[in-house]
Amino acid sequence: MKLNLTRRVFAASALALTMALPAVPAFAQDYPTHPVRIIVPFGPGGLADITMRLASEKLTERFGQQFIVENHPGAGGVAAANELLQADPDGHTLVVMSNGTTIAVSLFENLGYDPQEQFAPISTLAWFDLGIFVNPESDHATLQDLVDYGLANPGYINIGTVNPGSTQNLAAEYFRAATGIDANIIPYKTSPDILAALIRGELDMAIESPTAFAAALANNQARALAITGGARNPSLPDVPTVLEAGIEGYEVSGWNALWTLKDVPEEIITELHAAIAEIALMPDIQARFAELNTRAQSLTPDEMAARFESDRLIWAQVIEDSGIEKR
Amino acid sequence: MMETLSNLGLGFKTALSFGNLAFCALGVSLGTFVGVLPGIGALATISMCLPLTFYLDPIAAMIMLAGIFYGAQYGSSTASILLNLPGSAPAAITCLDGYPMAQQGRAGVALLLTTIASFIGGSFSIILMIGFAPILADVAISFSSAEYFAIMVLALVAASTLSNASVLKGITMVAVGLLLGLVGVDISSGAPRFTFGMIDLSDGISLVALAMGLFGVAEILANLMRDETPVVDAKSITFRSMIPTREDMRRFWPATGRGSVIGAVVGMLPGTGPTIATFISYATEKKVARDPSIFGKGAIEGIAAPEAANNSSVQAAFIPTLTLGIPGDAIMAVMLGGMLIHGITPGPQLINDNPVLFWGVVASFWIGNILLLILNIPLIGLWVRLLTVPYHLLYPAMLFFIVIGVYSVHNSPFDVIMTLVFGLAGFAMMKFDFPAAPLLLGFVLGPLIEEHFRRALMLSRGELSVFIERPVSLGFLIATLIVLLMAIGPVRTLFGRLIRGRRSAKNNINE
Repeated sequence: MKLNLTRRVFAASALALTMALPAVPAFAQDYPTHPVRIIVPFGPGGLADITMRLASEKLTERFGQQFIVENHPGAGGVAAANELLQADPDGHTLVVMSNGTTIAVSLFENLGYDPQEQFAPISTLAWFDLGIFVNPESDHATLQDLVDYGLANPGYINIGTVNPGSTQNLAAEYFRAATGIDANIIPYKTSPDILAALIRGELDMAIESPTAFAAALANNQARALAITGGARNPSLPDVPTVLEAGIEGYEVSGWNALWTLKDVPEEIITELHAAIAEIALMPDIQARFAELNTRAQSLTPDEMAARFESDRLIWAQVIEDSGIEKR
Repeated sequence: MMETLSNLGLGFKTALSFGNLAFCALGVSLGTFVGVLPGIGALATISMCLPLTFYLDPIAAMIMLAGIFYGAQYGSSTASILLNLPGSAPAAITCLDGYPMAQQGRAGVALLLTTIASFIGGSFSIILMIGFAPILADVAISFSSAEYFAIMVLALVAASTLSNASVLKGITMVAVGLLLGLVGVDISSGAPRFTFGMIDLSDGISLVALAMGLFGVAEILANLMRDETPVVDAKSITFRSMIPTREDMRRFWPATGRGSVIGAVVGMLPGTGPTIATFISYATEKKVARDPSIFGKGAIEGIAAPEAANNSSVQAAFIPTLTLGIPGDAIMAVMLGGMLIHGITPGPQLINDNPVLFWGVVASFWIGNILLLILNIPLIGLWVRLLTVPYHLLYPAMLFFIVIGVYSVHNSPFDVIMTLVFGLAGFAMMKFDFPAAPLLLGFVLGPLIEEHFRRALMLSRGELSVFIERPVSLGFLIATLIVLLMAIGPVRTLFGRLIRGRRSAKNNINE
């Protein structure tokens, strides 16, 4: 049975890892001297949480100190950022920043922290795109069909996304602007709510991450029309990108990355970056991430900083164009 | 039928294996423990245990996590009855009649009956799950925003007379609850409301913080202010005093039955949850009772129905989660995440692709519920002894657990401050006889009513007729109208006369 095999491999690797622990000597001379906290700005069980937990096991193995994932969910990542701001700049506290942070800096009037000023990037870890999903029985075979229908019937397309201001929601605003269709964006609280609405047939399309919809795709509860990233999703090789589907200039991809305080010594950041870069290439990590419809890839601190700025500019523009109220 | 039985046999074989049985026992014991402690609830416990289950067999992991969830519902009524401190938000309603029973020296009876009601409620939903899970799940998700709106409006109207305080005070508290429910970023427009520029408030007020403040901290403060603390004579609580009277049982069965059905219906609908189930079932008992004035003074119906509804709803919540992969609340979402980590995709194919998991977990529910009966009934005497712990030790300990529990939900110090603020507010409300239960009800239902009303209109492009064109929505709105009309004195009298008239006519014929 396929499922059992996956589980067994996972359990075995977890077991091997636990047994390997004491045998690994401390890697650096004086870092880390005690357990390292990884602050995740989301609750447990989500993509950022699962991928970080997988990576933290590898980091623990490599550095010979525990890397502990702590969840501090809250609007705009403020709770997580505050945890980091209260910590010593010695590299023993790391925080997860995401594409959501690049939105938050424009969405909140006064976020209370400035990641680009106060924090320093280490590396990206997980990359994911969004999918454009329809009911499996939808009349629209391709994204172009859906857009043509939307252009011919202004006001008649319902797009479901999670909360206003989320990456998915702004990606829908961006989609509306890029295609010129007059569509209603209908917000739901959670992605299961969206899936239920798609099954009920009250939505013409939904924008959600293929991770959240992985089970729905496997169960034929939803069909993917297109993927928002720059390249096709390896888990969904038959699904074209939005660009390939003929909508110019539309590309959205999300990421989760490790950052820490600005004053953390350069050597520690370099060492952590090297570790993540190595972990991202490990075959078992690559395989587990692929199962989650996400991709493991590291960016250097400089590339990360540049990516943050370019994403920030895009979302600031989308927020301004769509007239979303600042918080 | 035969197939179901053989599947069930497979399930019991799986669930009764030594390892799975041990994890089931571990889960329900841990659940009962955190359920008894006010503040620390199932969500925080399951979140904390989730990473540990990465190393377990997925069936054992699911069995244990589920055990924590329903085990906590058993435990949460204990502190409500004994100390007037609910173990979790759904158990807040159990305080209303459970605590008066304890004050009358009937704590043992209350604990015994809530345990049995919990078992019956849980079993009811498990039977539904075994027989009809896929069909029920399809019906549950076919409900759109229009239906949700109508159901929630009926719940709000029916339950707004929850307490015995003056009607005006009750409605005022519902309104305050509705306003508190608005705090945070509006789901439909993204606009922040009542946040006063505080980012901490933009996610809204935490239900756990509100419930623990109003019911837990306020009760502790009120006890500090009392000149003499009530002294409980432990010797008076004998084993015989725990045995319910025949009259108790006569009132217990129908209330438990109604609570089980209401809990199952509410629990199946994604996005509702056990708090709404307990409130609706309590309100229903008050509506169907011949003499509603007995509530709040230790009515058996007032503890049996909500506890049955509570457990029935948490078991029913597994129906859409396991059969469609659509979790109804935060706890179910965490459990779904747990399955995904193990590479299991819940959905319509789960029953066929992985029958051992599906039936094993379902069978473990029943085993877990039986374990909970065994665990709870002999322990009743132990819990009752809690009452004899001196208050100067008990209350600081309870406050400590409340603070830890509230903090652990989101690891948020802000939520702890909110709890203490609501504690002070709740204390003031107690002093001026403003009931807290309607406030909690408004808080839970208000945002749902608004969200679904606005989404229904968005989907209908502004046509209000959507609420009467859909039969389920229309039915619930008519029921709401009837409840409202019945609240008007003259209408009720007229209605009563009509029924009596017909009855006496029948009697005449019989003669």
